[in-house]
Amino acid sequence: MTLVVENLSKSYGDTNVFSDISFALEKGEILCIRGKSGQGKTTLLRCLNNLETLDKGSIKINNRYLCKEVNGKVNYASQQELKVIRQDIGFVFQSFNLFPHMTVKENLLLAPKFLKKLSNDEIEKKADELILKLDLSTKSDNYPYQLSGGQKQRVAIARACMLSPSILCFDEPTSALDEETMGQISKIIKELAAQGIAIIIVTHDSAFVEEIGGKVITLKN
Amino acid sequence: MNVFNMLIPMTIEGLRITIGVFLATLVISIPLSIIVAKLRMSKNKIIAKITGIYIYIMRGTPLLLQLMFIFFGFHYIPLIGFAFGRYQAIIIAFVLNYTAYLAEIFRGGIGSIDIGQFEACQVLSLSKRFTFMKVILPQVVKNVMPSIGNEVITLVKDTSLVYILGVADILKAAKSVSNTYSTFIPYIFVGIVYLLITAILTKLLDNFESKFSYYR
Ligand SMILES: Nc1ncnc2c1ncn2[C@@H]1O[C@H](COP(=O)(O)OP(=O)(O)OP(=O)(O)O)[C@@H](O)[C@H]1O
Ligand SMILES: [Mg+2]
Repeated sequence: MTLVVENLSKSYGDTNVFSDISFALEKGEILCIRGKSGQGKTTLLRCLNNLETLDKGSIKINNRYLCKEVNGKVNYASQQELKVIRQDIGFVFQSFNLFPHMTVKENLLLAPKFLKKLSNDEIEKKADELILKLDLSTKSDNYPYQLSGGQKQRVAIARACMLSPSILCFDEPTSALDEETMGQISKIIKELAAQGIAIIIVTHDSAFVEEIGGKVITLKN
Repeated sequence: MNVFNMLIPMTIEGLRITIGVFLATLVISIPLSIIVAKLRMSKNKIIAKITGIYIYIMRGTPLLLQLMFIFFGFHYIPLIGFAFGRYQAIIIAFVLNYTAYLAEIFRGGIGSIDIGQFEACQVLSLSKRFTFMKVILPQVVKNVMPSIGNEVITLVKDTSLVYILGVADILKAAKSVSNTYSTFIPYIFVGIVYLLITAILTKLLDNFESKFSYYR
């Protein structure tokens, strides 16, 4: 299993956001998480990416525990381990969070060049391939402010893919897109899944859920 | 004209002080103020508090008083047998004062960066240090440039405070010549020199700011 999630619970103070969520994902599987606004979809993704800490539950990515519940207490992996585990899971933010002072290409190169898991030549080659695949060739030297919403989203996807994650999370990927670009993004996501990346999509867009297929979980209170 | 025969060489001498204090203060204060801004924003309450008190004192008292305090103050402490030299005292006072002001500007700048930028770095497994240097700081510098520019211009004029320690900057030069010849001309002249320095700096600052206009 690429991702195993067991009994996740999270509250902010007195307000319970979600409780007892469990699911598992294989290589290349697609999971859609639905739910009304405020049901904790974004929070769940943030917990999976360790941007938020859980109150209960365990998360296992490629057989390594990001966090593990032992006797009712959640133990997180050490900073050193987290750095490694985290590279297996990518996050495409709803607002993309591209680096505004860097070109498209520089956005892609920053993290891999810092992490140095590949040689510079290999990193450049990989960036060029992703830029081509995501139809960004004419934009590679442009800055984020010069891009449309759909283009920014593809840059965010490419940037996440530079680290070759096993899992890729999307928060409301269709929120900023028209129908045509929606078709484009679902095609891209399906291609990523076909390459073996497990995909988690948070959305309240039913049409998109149908279009993309895959497992569906609905968050309810 | 006799006045200028005396005024010009003395002004040139004075410029060495004025420009020296100006440059030394900037070169030391800017990097230091970024560190102080980060300390002020530290999660460690004690560090944040101490830094806050330092900034409060530096911004809450006149620079002139700080200069006097650092130079003369030690003479009044018996038995310690230590005091700063004039130039040391000047640089220490100016650096302490300007670091506090600049730190507050950088703190505002860092605080105004979208939290999403930090989070994007976090999910990309970037280190805190790398995140700050490559992602946050370049954006902060763009945002704070206008405010930093203001401080830079103010600093030019503040250098005239060194007269209190008997150091001859351009204003002191004007004063001496004015006393000798009983004329007001040296003051007009030195006013023009300040304006020229400010004009050059304004141009340089504009150029630097436009370096960051390639993105929004
Ligand atoms: N940092 C926080 N502190 C306190 N409460 C929070 C915080 N973040 C989220 N919440 C609360 O947690 C709940 C879930 O928020 P979340 O953003 O996960 O919902 P969502 O399902 O993504 O909603 P939407 O569809 O509108 O994006 C909401 O009630 C929200 O107010
Ligand atoms: Mg949300």
